Amino acid sequence: MARPIVPVPDPATQPFWDACNEGKLIVQYCSVCDRRQFPPEAACRDCGFNFHLTWQETSGRAKIVGYSITYDSRLVQWHPLQPFLNVIVALEEDPVINFHTNLIDDFGTNLSEEPDIPIGATCEVQFVEAEPGRMIPEWKLVK
Amino acid sequence: MAREVNWERNHDPVGIWNGRGKAALVARGHSPTDRRWDGESLDKSLGAFMMIAVQNALDDAGITIDDVDGIIGSAGGQGNGQPLSDVWGPRPYFDAPYDSEDGLTHVTGQWLRQQMGFKNLRYINNHGDPVWNLIGQASQAIADGRAEVVVVTYPNGNLPGRYHQDPSNQARGPAVWPNTWGWGLSGQGFTFNQYCQKYGTNHDRMAPFVVQERKNGLLWEHSYYAQHEPGEFTEEDYLNGRMIARDLSIFDCDRPVLAAAAYVMVSADRAKDMKQKPVYILDHTESQFSPRSLVQTIDDTEEWTDIQAQRSYNGSGLKPEDIDIFAPYDGFAVFTQYYIEAFGWRGVKRGEAHDFYAGDISLKGPNPLNSGGGNMGTGRMRTVFITDPLEQLQGRAGDRQVTTKAEVAVTHGVLPITAGTVVMSTSPD
Amino acid sequence: MAILLSFDIDGTLELGDPPGGVTTEMVRKARDVGFIIGSCSDKPLSVQRKIWEDMELTPAFVSAKHQLGKVRRENPADAYYHMGDRDTDYMAAKDNNFGFWWAHEAAEQPWLEFDMNNHEQIPITT
Ligand SMILES: [Mg+2]
Ligand SMILES: [Zn+2]
Repeated sequence: MARPIVPVPDPATQPFWDACNEGKLIVQYCSVCDRRQFPPEAACRDCGFNFHLTWQETSGRAKIVGYSITYDSRLVQWHPLQPFLNVIVALEEDPVINFHTNLIDDFGTNLSEEPDIPIGATCEVQFVEAEPGRMIPEWKLVK
Repeated sequence: MAREVNWERNHDPVGIWNGRGKAALVARGHSPTDRRWDGESLDKSLGAFMMIAVQNALDDAGITIDDVDGIIGSAGGQGNGQPLSDVWGPRPYFDAPYDSEDGLTHVTGQWLRQQMGFKNLRYINNHGDPVWNLIGQASQAIADGRAEVVVVTYPNGNLPGRYHQDPSNQARGPAVWPNTWGWGLSGQGFTFNQYCQKYGTNHDRMAPFVVQERKNGLLWEHSYYAQHEPGEFTEEDYLNGRMIARDLSIFDCDRPVLAAAAYVMVSADRAKDMKQKPVYILDHTESQFSPRSLVQTIDDTEEWTDIQAQRSYNGSGLKPEDIDIFAPYDGFAVFTQYYIEAFGWRGVKRGEAHDFYAGDISLKGPNPLNSGGGNMGTGRMRTVFITDPLEQLQGRAGDRQVTTKAEVAVTHGVLPITAGTVVMSTSPD
Repeated sequence: MAILLSFDIDGTLELGDPPGGVTTEMVRKARDVGFIIGSCSDKPLSVQRKIWEDMELTPAFVSAKHQLGKVRRENPADAYYHMGDRDTDYMAAKDNNFGFWWAHEAAEQPWLEFDMNNHEQIPITT
């Protein structure tokens, strides 16, 4: 399914998007600070340098930590899908790291009733095509 | 005129401010409050409104333009000339001085100097911070002896069309993260969702707070609602609010309006000559954070607001029980609970704000929270957060005057992620 | 037959902020012709009631914009129309199977063209 808004990579984010196209979810890792970093930035937020910054593949497994439902977005392209779900998931191996997802496979869009979103439930990453040649991470519930 | 950076007090431990009691807020002036500018009426542009507010503030202080040696302001309430609406410049312009956005939808200190004929300025700064930070910066400039009589300007605009709508189907730069997943206002909705999970509460328990703010706001003559929608706002109204992003309804979001306010701030020496009773600045502190990862969580929010509160207490030497008037920002109504709990005003601890709202927070009761009505009660002006504490401490809040003691006020805003805190007192010590 | 007209306020009625092209006289006339009239707006319900008082008219309903479905359930009619100036109005109408006019179309009083004795002639415009 095409997405209403597609991301345009820049130098800091290109490796992340390239990995998505290969079916991998990667985040930055600073070996001297021993911390993961997402979203990607030009330097490590803690030490302030890029000397020790590399990319690290993640398990792609994450837990739901909270959600919102959008009824009236400031993003005009999303209006036809309203109301839709906005979920935040935290990476299983490092819950500080969080990601956006819409859980469209599990809950769809145009939610007519308030869905029962299982806080704490485990999800796994999948990659969906935002536009031809551009994959983005989405999550689905592990049943 | 030197350009200044790093005036903020944002590194712990800040310690008691060395400018304590050296600067005073003495007067305020407001323009009329409209819903939006029509794009044509020059006498109702943001520049015209700003000039009205400045003149009103000078009159309130009993001084003239020639007494003023500093202007510190925001050019338009949004940083870097960001648009306020989906209808924006460039547009067909008018004859000078309305030949650019400056004067129409932004107002710089330089434009005001030209239009109003300030002659004795030695300090101008309009880098566009929220109003708490501007009061902090003016206090610092006065305490450091760089100006003696400063006008702080805060214009806030709105135009026809929907606010902040973004029609793009591509996202670039930092916008790739929110926009790709349709994340607009949902950030505040998500953090509030986590708050509700953590403390077992829900949206509808905000009702007494928002209803009380609307009541208080109707008693402030500059409120949008007092001027344009003066009916009572009821709990039924609140509970029927259309959801924008769960759990924020339209009545948890401040209403964009067009208004300008100005404040006169002076050195403690000059304060004695002013028409109004001085309110001394005991402390100002500032803060800026970034989330641990992509999205601000409730953990981030509580950590940041704890730092903000402790920094302010550290800077003023006060304790929660010393605060008579407390004005925590509510630009989304959910902010206020994070701030009350962080500052521990009236003994409120984490997770207890909604219980506190269910008690007596009325204007004439023991806990007159946001006695000016906040943005929910006045519109997205933000200036009630300065004007109301000032008037309460000066004893001239009229129908809004609280019945509790009003000697020390703390006002705090704008966001958990970046804020300024100002501590005011009737006494300089 | 019964036809319900739901008026948005801001940008639609002349008493709205901003004022719209539908005058109080047009609303009164719709009432006199026999339409079921009321408002559906983002304004608080109490403010909507106040606006009807100011128009010296009694509405059959006042509603928040997301509660148009409730208006349908609570007000039996043969056809339902909403009019407004925002995509939120359009979506609310579409979601609840109301006919819809944009505010500038509504200012032409299209309902006066209806043949009240001929159900078939009254279109649903969504
Ligand atoms: Mg409207
Ligand atoms: Zn590092």
